Amino acid sequence: MEGMAVKHQITRSAELQSLAGFRELIDQACDQEPAFDDQTRYDLKLAVDEACSNIILHGYAAMDPGSIIVSIEIGQDAARVTITDFGHPFEPVEIEPPTREAGPEAILDDLGLFFIHESADLIDYQSSPAGNCLYLVKYLPKADHENPFQ
Amino acid sequence: MFRYFRLKKDVQPAQTLPGTLSGELLARDAISPIAIRQINTLPDNTKRRIYRGLLPPAVLVRFQIDPLTWESKNGISAMELYAEPGSGVAKVAIQDPQDREDELLTLEIQDNAFDGIDLNLIVLGDPQAVRFAIDRDERGKPTMFGTLGRNFKEEQKAMEAGLAPGQVRKGLGGSQVVLDQLESFLAALGQRAYFLEPLTYVSAWVFEKRGFAYVRGHKLMENIQHEFQPGGALFQALDGSTAFRSPAHWSTVRGRAWAIHDGILEAIDARWDKLRMVKQIGRHAGVETFPDAVY
Repeated sequence: MEGMAVKHQITRSAELQSLAGFRELIDQACDQEPAFDDQTRYDLKLAVDEACSNIILHGYAAMDPGSIIVSIEIGQDAARVTITDFGHPFEPVEIEPPTREAGPEAILDDLGLFFIHESADLIDYQSSPAGNCLYLVKYLPKADHENPFQ
Repeated sequence: MFRYFRLKKDVQPAQTLPGTLSGELLARDAISPIAIRQINTLPDNTKRRIYRGLLPPAVLVRFQIDPLTWESKNGISAMELYAEPGSGVAKVAIQDPQDREDELLTLEIQDNAFDGIDLNLIVLGDPQAVRFAIDRDERGKPTMFGTLGRNFKEEQKAMEAGLAPGQVRKGLGGSQVVLDQLESFLAALGQRAYFLEPLTYVSAWVFEKRGFAYVRGHKLMENIQHEFQPGGALFQALDGSTAFRSPAHWSTVRGRAWAIHDGILEAIDARWDKLRMVKQIGRHAGVETFPDAVY
């Protein structure tokens, strides 16, 4: 079974109290791979935390919150996280970084998304009637990598 | 690569194969979903061939129904298919040859607004079990499984006999095998998920066990679990004021379901409506809002 990724998954309701459970899942998964140093683990948790917060605050806005499914696969070279939800879909856009004139609230909103981008090595997002999926890849330190989305 | 997200203003439906189904069209693309409406335009025998895949042969054989002809052993047609041209609904119903009043199994699926599939109805009733007339009120009007009206006497008898709200008879068992078959059928159509609205708390609990997640209502289910714990608002509302609000009902799925059917969610300013669940093809979501539940 050498080389086979181990998958961990939890499903929780889309509310802020669920974030601790998602962080715990990342910790448990990373515990199985000694090559994940503290910084990598922190980055992954930050990215998942920010992505799920975004789904909770915006994706499920104005509806009785549904589920968020977080799964993580730890491979030999990387952790691959999939975050699935069934709320309003997002669309990826290129926008200018936040400015001081935008005010503190706008800056904080944009910073959350900025953190996702900065914390993960690769990001992809797909929306379909079957759900919205955000894919995050975080490589192990000092591994050679190919972009799986290309 | 992108840097930011924003909420989509318009949700696009899936790219369903366009037009009337044909061999040539199917050969072009193995991924794009096929809609029920498209199948329903096909000739009757073609539809029968396709919808035959909706039901597990083992269930048909269990009732001595030929899986190919849909006839019982004495040659009587035991299964009905409703799949009218122009309609996005397909319904299969197995009649009990001994009892034409109720169907043994009913399954209804429908195209939804986003080119996905809704499971409108799944009923598996044991024909040998005692029937409770919860589907008609005391004046004989349909109650729509207790959602539009209620027959309190029959409901109480059903509850005491161990049934869940909405059941006219004890269940047949086998929902897992029927849902597995449905999932295979939908995968063959190129669908990636299907959706349903659970009629009762018992239904939601069963569908959680079958791998469904929530589009809406996950938080409500967790609130229900929390508030039925000793000291919670729902626990305290189990005051014995009706047979459906017995204090013992907090600890079982069925007990909670009857209390919810009786309107106990008012105690937490909530209602049992607008819940929507989703099953992604091939994926078990692992939701468990009532851990270590007793039925």
